[in-house]
Amino acid sequence: MAKIIVVTSGKGGVGKTTSAAAIATGLALRGNKTIVIDFDVGLRNLDLIMGCERRVVYDLVNVIQGEATLNQAMIRDKRTENLFILPASQTRDKDALTPEGVEQVLNNLKDEFDYIICDSPAGIERGAQLAMYYADEAIVVTNPEVSSVRDSDRILGLLGSKTRLAEQGKEQVKEHLLITRYNPHRVDHGDMLNLNDITEILSIKLLGLIPESEAVLRASNQGVPVTHDDDSDAGQAYADTVSRLLGEDVPLRFHEAQKKSFLSRMFGGRR
Amino acid sequence: MSLNVDRENTAFTFKGGMLPMTVMELSSANPEEVEAQLSGKVSQSPAFFQHTPVVLSVEKVDGPNLALERLCAICRSHKLLPVAVRGGGESAKQSAWALGLGWFPPVEARTHTLAPVPDAEPAVAEPVAAETLVAHGGRVYRGTVRSGQQISAPEGDLVVVGAVNAGAEILAAGSIHVYGPLRGRALAGIHGDTDVGVFCHELHAELLSVSGNYKRLEDIDPVLLGKAIQVYLEKDHLHIEAL
Repeated sequence: MAKIIVVTSGKGGVGKTTSAAAIATGLALRGNKTIVIDFDVGLRNLDLIMGCERRVVYDLVNVIQGEATLNQAMIRDKRTENLFILPASQTRDKDALTPEGVEQVLNNLKDEFDYIICDSPAGIERGAQLAMYYADEAIVVTNPEVSSVRDSDRILGLLGSKTRLAEQGKEQVKEHLLITRYNPHRVDHGDMLNLNDITEILSIKLLGLIPESEAVLRASNQGVPVTHDDDSDAGQAYADTVSRLLGEDVPLRFHEAQKKSFLSRMFGGRR
Repeated sequence: MSLNVDRENTAFTFKGGMLPMTVMELSSANPEEVEAQLSGKVSQSPAFFQHTPVVLSVEKVDGPNLALERLCAICRSHKLLPVAVRGGGESAKQSAWALGLGWFPPVEARTHTLAPVPDAEPAVAEPVAAETLVAHGGRVYRGTVRSGQQISAPEGDLVVVGAVNAGAEILAAGSIHVYGPLRGRALAGIHGDTDVGVFCHELHAELLSVSGNYKRLEDIDPVLLGKAIQVYLEKDHLHIEAL
């Protein structure tokens, strides 16, 4: 039985799709059969980040409307075994998704996969609510700035009330906090909120902290999830995040500013 | 499935709302006097008189000769829109309804039903106190009140054990107690009870209100921010005090 995990944030541009791709890749690299679904109908991006945009024929909306089968729409990742992508439609809008259709798709995937990662659209409307509705766990992606934190707070409120688990009243969606674009130097200068402020306001458990990194931009543009770049700080941070998601106890990294050594300052040594 | 699939098919939904409302408390039932005073006010602050909805409070001037229709006409001619009448007896109620206005019970009567004052009989004091507790129907909320959430105690006090985050709103007919940081809006005494307050462990509130008297974050003395405080009403003025 697959675990359904939604990657959501409220605010746009904080790194939901990057994180969904990186985490799904990380899970698959460790032998879990994983599918990542793009719920951002009309603004599809996941296929670009995963580097499979040229192989999209059918999409989630086609499957829901019965125009294609799941097997026709699923794209097998070229780099990682066990990893599949279900892209969103670029030509439709979010009203093309129905709760029944989404449930049907998830039910069909549940037996075959270990993890289903739902990449939520930004906002708190229908699309975002559908992406989170059937989730068992949620990864709330937040940037270290006030508006992002407030939107995440709003999303956490919805996770506690507008999901199937919440409506059944039995258990809660398990909530994880993922802070992205964290720059310890700018935090020290007071330009960014610090880790403790964010966790205090949102009061949920920290799953991971991804440093602001050139590797992320490079990965997006090359269409290779940053998890594959295991020399980079962001790649390692996502690997740590996946470990914690799998229940391992991994110490937090990249949250403190590194003092640059004399030599690296002299030669501008940068990774 | 309650994802509002058939949202397009519903013409409307009923929602509770707390809207700011101007109450025009009449101390004279003489239409000429009201007219004269209104004319003076209009010239002072014309911006206020832009079809502002008002509630006519007739508690002090109720009588058989209350010229409600005439008073409403005067208000309308000065661009005030009477939407309801508060107080008065049966005749005031009936004539309000006849004029197409709503009617609210007088303030005293309502607070009385909300918080029954125990009779001064010591022998029955204890059982009455127990009843009062039940009648108050306060509420205890455990956990974080998040942005966009509204938690209310329509009768009695509200206790939040946790944080109230920015963008959240908590309301109570009675007092509000927050055992944690208060970053959102807190409105106590929403039915007009003035003998209530807001208490919190850490003040960062966007808005504090007791019985309709409010202060925004901007109006709050920065010295008090982050402190444990109480807010209370004294002579129609809102006081914030460190605890």
